Amino acid sequence: MEDIAIVAFAQTPCYRKYDDSEPSMIMGLVNQIVEEVEIDRHQIDFTIAGSCDYLTGRAFAFIANVDGYGAWPPVYESHVEMDGAWALFEAFVRLQMGDIGSALIVSSGKSSPGTPREIFPLQTDPYLGAPLGLDPVSAAGLQARALLDSGKATERDFAEVVSRSRRDGLSNPNAQVGKDVPVEDLLKEPYYASPLRKHDLPPISDGASAVLIARGQRARELCEKPVWIRGIDHRIESHHLGLRDLTDSPSSRIAARSLGLDAGSLDVAELCARYSPEEIVLRQALELGDGTRINPSGGPLCGHPVMASGLTRVVEVARRIRGGEAGRGLGHATSGPALQQNLLCILEGDA
Amino acid sequence: MAERCAVVGIGQTKYDRCLPVSMDGLVRQAALRALEDADLTFADIDAIVIGKAPDALEGVIMPELSLCDALCAVGKPIHRVHTAGSVGGSTAISASTLIESGMYNRVLTVAYEKQSDGNFMWALTGGRSGGAGAGGSFAPWIRNYMRKSGAPDHIGWKVAVKDRRNGAKNPYAHVSQADITIEAVKESPMIWDPIHFLEVCPSSDGAAAMVMTNAAGAKRAPRPPAWVIAHAKRTELGVFPGRDPVKPVAGMECAKALFKKAGITDPRRQIDCAELYVPFSWFEPMWLEGHLICEEGEGWKMVDSGATEIGGDFPVNMSGGVLCSNPIGASGMLRLLEPANQVRGTAGDYQVEGARVALGQAYGGPSNYFAMWIVSSEPNPTFS
Amino acid sequence: MSEFPISFTLEYPYTRTLGPVIGPFLTALRDGCILGIRCGNRVLCPPIEFDPDTGETLSPDLVEVGPAGSVESWTWIAEPSRKHPFQEPFAFALVKLDGADTAMTHAVKAAGPEAMSTGMRVRAQFREERAGAITDVYFVPEGDARDQSIAPGEGEVEISTHLISLTYNDTLYPHAARYAQGLLDGKFIGQRISGDQVAIPGKGYDALARVMLTEADDVELAPTGTVLSYTVITPVKYRGQKETEPYLSATIILDGAGQSLVQQDIRNIPLDELRVGMRLRAIFKPAAERKVDDVDNDWMYPSIGDVVERWEPTGEPDVPLDGLPESM
Repeated sequence: MEDIAIVAFAQTPCYRKYDDSEPSMIMGLVNQIVEEVEIDRHQIDFTIAGSCDYLTGRAFAFIANVDGYGAWPPVYESHVEMDGAWALFEAFVRLQMGDIGSALIVSSGKSSPGTPREIFPLQTDPYLGAPLGLDPVSAAGLQARALLDSGKATERDFAEVVSRSRRDGLSNPNAQVGKDVPVEDLLKEPYYASPLRKHDLPPISDGASAVLIARGQRARELCEKPVWIRGIDHRIESHHLGLRDLTDSPSSRIAARSLGLDAGSLDVAELCARYSPEEIVLRQALELGDGTRINPSGGPLCGHPVMASGLTRVVEVARRIRGGEAGRGLGHATSGPALQQNLLCILEGDA
Repeated sequence: MAERCAVVGIGQTKYDRCLPVSMDGLVRQAALRALEDADLTFADIDAIVIGKAPDALEGVIMPELSLCDALCAVGKPIHRVHTAGSVGGSTAISASTLIESGMYNRVLTVAYEKQSDGNFMWALTGGRSGGAGAGGSFAPWIRNYMRKSGAPDHIGWKVAVKDRRNGAKNPYAHVSQADITIEAVKESPMIWDPIHFLEVCPSSDGAAAMVMTNAAGAKRAPRPPAWVIAHAKRTELGVFPGRDPVKPVAGMECAKALFKKAGITDPRRQIDCAELYVPFSWFEPMWLEGHLICEEGEGWKMVDSGATEIGGDFPVNMSGGVLCSNPIGASGMLRLLEPANQVRGTAGDYQVEGARVALGQAYGGPSNYFAMWIVSSEPNPTFS
Repeated sequence: MSEFPISFTLEYPYTRTLGPVIGPFLTALRDGCILGIRCGNRVLCPPIEFDPDTGETLSPDLVEVGPAGSVESWTWIAEPSRKHPFQEPFAFALVKLDGADTAMTHAVKAAGPEAMSTGMRVRAQFREERAGAITDVYFVPEGDARDQSIAPGEGEVEISTHLISLTYNDTLYPHAARYAQGLLDGKFIGQRISGDQVAIPGKGYDALARVMLTEADDVELAPTGTVLSYTVITPVKYRGQKETEPYLSATIILDGAGQSLVQQDIRNIPLDELRVGMRLRAIFKPAAERKVDDVDNDWMYPSIGDVVERWEPTGEPDVPLDGLPESM
């Protein structure tokens, strides 16, 4: 396997509503990255984007996003209609071929124009799920209930995730939501999709993030502190909720095993837990212990730019490794209702 | 050093409107046929890559989520590529890189569209009235090509006749018109002047699939593989002052990068046949020039001389091409899959005799996305 | 600066062909019963076309399950969305029907969350109006269930319809708002970008130099231009289409612009009289009649609003073909 490292990264703040175009968000990030590593945009060999047209309701919105990362003169690029974490996966795979040295990954999404709760049922079975308006919040509610019933978590556990995350959001300059709310106050709130309360849900956000990766020697040429990607793997579960164990994340387990993940070695894990119970399911499935700091950024509960949220988790881990707060970390991304599909990315700084 | 990628299984559905299948049934049909062709089962597959054009065509967002069970992807990696009309081509290339990276041994790739569930014109315009459609956007560019090249009016009609007659030899084709004539095309209603109805691609449902593996896997394949010699993608900005959408720079750059990687120095001579994305007849001469297979202004002459017929010296769209079948998400993959059919010798009645090296091309968006590959019957062909 | 709210609704009645398993399943729902499919020694409900463990295609051996079952998980929806099966609070639940080995996700209509519990018994109820869709059925607590006699319908359900309707609300971004205001004022406002070119409509950024643009980069263009190309569009019927007669759609490059205005409808010039190279002038509507409702943020859908009454030939000699800009 080739050694691949993150050599630069950037993210926008999470906005409730960004008052300009998605391409302009991307452009700012890409400019920031090329300035930081002192290269011309066209010295990047491959570019790949992650985004979802349905967020803004424009078929082909992703074509406009090409303006953001630049394509004149023409460039070698591609696009996945998924979170940018999967674009990172494709780029990682591409660099393994050994013929090109660098790849730029961008991810973006504006959730503000639409009503996500009405849009995302269209991710479910077109005959059996979508016509019921089966939305991600309801699926998360079913997962939360299953967790409580199994004894693997309590409502207090959910509230503790929220309280900790929102407090951590206060020290994240890119967070949209940050506040200091004690667990007791949270438990007094009414249910929204029981046993979930409104604060167990992520905010609606616009935002973008980007990462530049490079192979081997090129990585060392481009930056002083490369953050090495020790492995990326992703797996999926059935789309029939009735065929899944909602109290566990088997796909995350398989990915972890395939990567040879040693949870005990992780200083930090940024989990794309959009609903507080998801963090508990993932912690248990990945066997994360007390030695691993979870979501120091505040996680998606403090800012959830759909389609960039997963890649942003990788960015947050890279930031802490580069900053010396962590030596080894895990970035997690997810897609689909109740953690249906999961991606793990293990990052490590130089020894 | 990258692994070589070999296509060892090919599967397609019949292309038509309103196929009486569910989404699951559609993709499974193509996938199962590809697996059978490769003498493999779902259990043998390590990773899946799917490709599809805009989700608004079916009203299903991120279909990898609701199709993963049908493709036996549970417990495996699956991801979905989307690059507009070229998506099927980009998907095939993405799948190829999974093998070439050495990370996966056997990859299943599927591209599809079930556009009868929705409406293509509606999806393209977002329901706005007065939508010009793809043809309405491209017709002015076609007029520009005709004017600059001095091409006579009948060139487009000739391409339509060739492709529709070729399609009659393809059992999967949606539109098959063995008896079509130049007169019939010329007399058919004008849709977007100068494009007549019979020069326009159909709107089809369908799925196409390939099973890809590395050299070790190719040794065990029951039928000769198609080796992926080279692939390239290029994209340019869609709209900006000074852009030439008729002969886009990205199209030329893509071809140059592709030929260089393959070691091809004289594409017209060294490539035996090609499948090019031609949704409206005139794109055949435009892409022949646009991808540097012939000089500027010579593309229409290649058509006129019969060079692009199956019996000619540079056959194009032997399968009937997009003019015969256009399930948008799959069309790009078909343009890369049919060359694989040719070099494997499995193209049936539209086989080009002795085809050893074949070119596949897909384009998308306002002619700003390009995905191309070269396949060969040999893993390391040399060209002189 | 006025705010320009934009709102559009994506709406289409998708019509889905169903295949050999979902078709009978939805037909049975229309006829008041729920089917599962035999898979080895299990019964899967909802039915799937294949064995989820091996991927093998199942022969459609469908059996009736339910109508009662047990709740395996549930969530009480306090504020239903407009797409939910009920507009008053209800529960989504995983219901394992009697005779089935897997649970289906569906809606339970109950008096309140206190009526819901894991393990409780529920029974299927069928709506009075049924279409052969998953929404034909719902569940209620066993104690609330009424006996129903459902008259089966005619024939097989082979197509199921789902009206998908999504509304998006935004405002025009600053550069687009200035462009729209310009149109209302009877002006074409483009943006100067690198290479001393003018883009119209502007994008708020220069994609070539890769910088954001500001109002200082706005430039007014004269309302005159040259036809670079055109087509005659014969309208195709689709949902939302209002056009019926063929019309000219021209690509016009305004004087001073570096890119053309595409798809400009020309209604006042006969179909066979428009020429490449022809000189045209935009005649604006009276100010009170100008509208910019379909001006958009997304340059993939360029619009000059509904402000131009017509494109009038200026009477100047045509620009010679070799004098036209190389690109469009």
